[in-house]
Amino acid sequence: MPIQPILRYPHPVLKRIASRVEVIDGDICSLVQDLLDTMVAGPGSVGVAAPQIGASLRVCVVDVSTSRHGRDNNHGRLCMINPEITARSGAAVMREGCMSVPDYTGDVERATTITVTFTEPDGTTRSITASGFEAVAIQHEMDHLDGILFLDRIVCITTGLFRRKNYA
Amino acid sequence: MTSSDTPHYAISVVGKDRTGIVSGITEALYRLGCNIADSSCTMLAGEFAMIMIVSHPRPFSKSRLYDELRPTCEALGMSLAVRSLHADEALRQHTEAEICLISVYGADQPGIVYRVTKELASRDVNIMDLNTKLVGSDEEPVYVMMLEAALPAEVSPEQIEAILADLKKELNVEIGVRIVTPVSL
Repeated sequence: MPIQPILRYPHPVLKRIASRVEVIDGDICSLVQDLLDTMVAGPGSVGVAAPQIGASLRVCVVDVSTSRHGRDNNHGRLCMINPEITARSGAAVMREGCMSVPDYTGDVERATTITVTFTEPDGTTRSITASGFEAVAIQHEMDHLDGILFLDRIVCITTGLFRRKNYA
Repeated sequence: MTSSDTPHYAISVVGKDRTGIVSGITEALYRLGCNIADSSCTMLAGEFAMIMIVSHPRPFSKSRLYDELRPTCEALGMSLAVRSLHADEALRQHTEAEICLISVYGADQPGIVYRVTKELASRDVNIMDLNTKLVGSDEEPVYVMMLEAALPAEVSPEQIEAILADLKKELNVEIGVRIVTPVSL
């Protein structure tokens, strides 16, 4: 089962908190491969999280190296099992879209630099510090592991200038 | 979801702002069995403006929709306009284009919107969203315009910046161009 269909909201798995992976066995390795195949097949896709293909497990893949936003600043292909963000700094707004929520985009604020620790499919623990678009993509995919969609994080429905109506 | 086989209408409702406009209008639409697809509602100075694309699952005439909504609008003191959409007009619009946010602000003067948008229109740049607001004091009014536009493939954001740089000097306003094309994740 290489390329999997991307589930779309309102599929309930997308709003569920995914379970930690306790043992990296053959099933987990197949899941990682499915995520990679699905990511590569998606037009312009830079990441897929396991819940997006129906597996409520804390696994996601990210690769921004082929994206114009991330090609100069990335760690290549990341296969992350049980990822945890251990440090974050900065904040920037980017307009995001998601394959699980087609036809809608919105401005989301995320940390500009993150340190994320995760287990690789071969069992080694790895810690990286990502910034820029790669950091955004990792945070977006990791949100899927907590049942959070970018819709839950949209910061404004119009340009910030117009939010304050009264200056008294 | 919009689809091409159900009747769609563009409705605009504008009137003095007060609480209960959105709930009043949408209750009337709900009772008529209309579905609101895309909509945008905002406060402009003291006026509240609603623009909605609505559909109805069954054949439903434009005049009936107008007549059914009119009493609610009159009670709320709102103007009402209804237009039938052709099936192909109501379909969801997709774009792969680069999206730019163009900010323009400076001392208020006639023609800011016109001059900027004329440059864009002549290059087939499609405006998708536009807000303007008159701010500042009575003595020193400042005009602020924010617009989002889809660039045709042959026009780059740098070209837009260069084109608007001339206008910036001529009108003595600030003009900024930022790329806000959504990232697909």
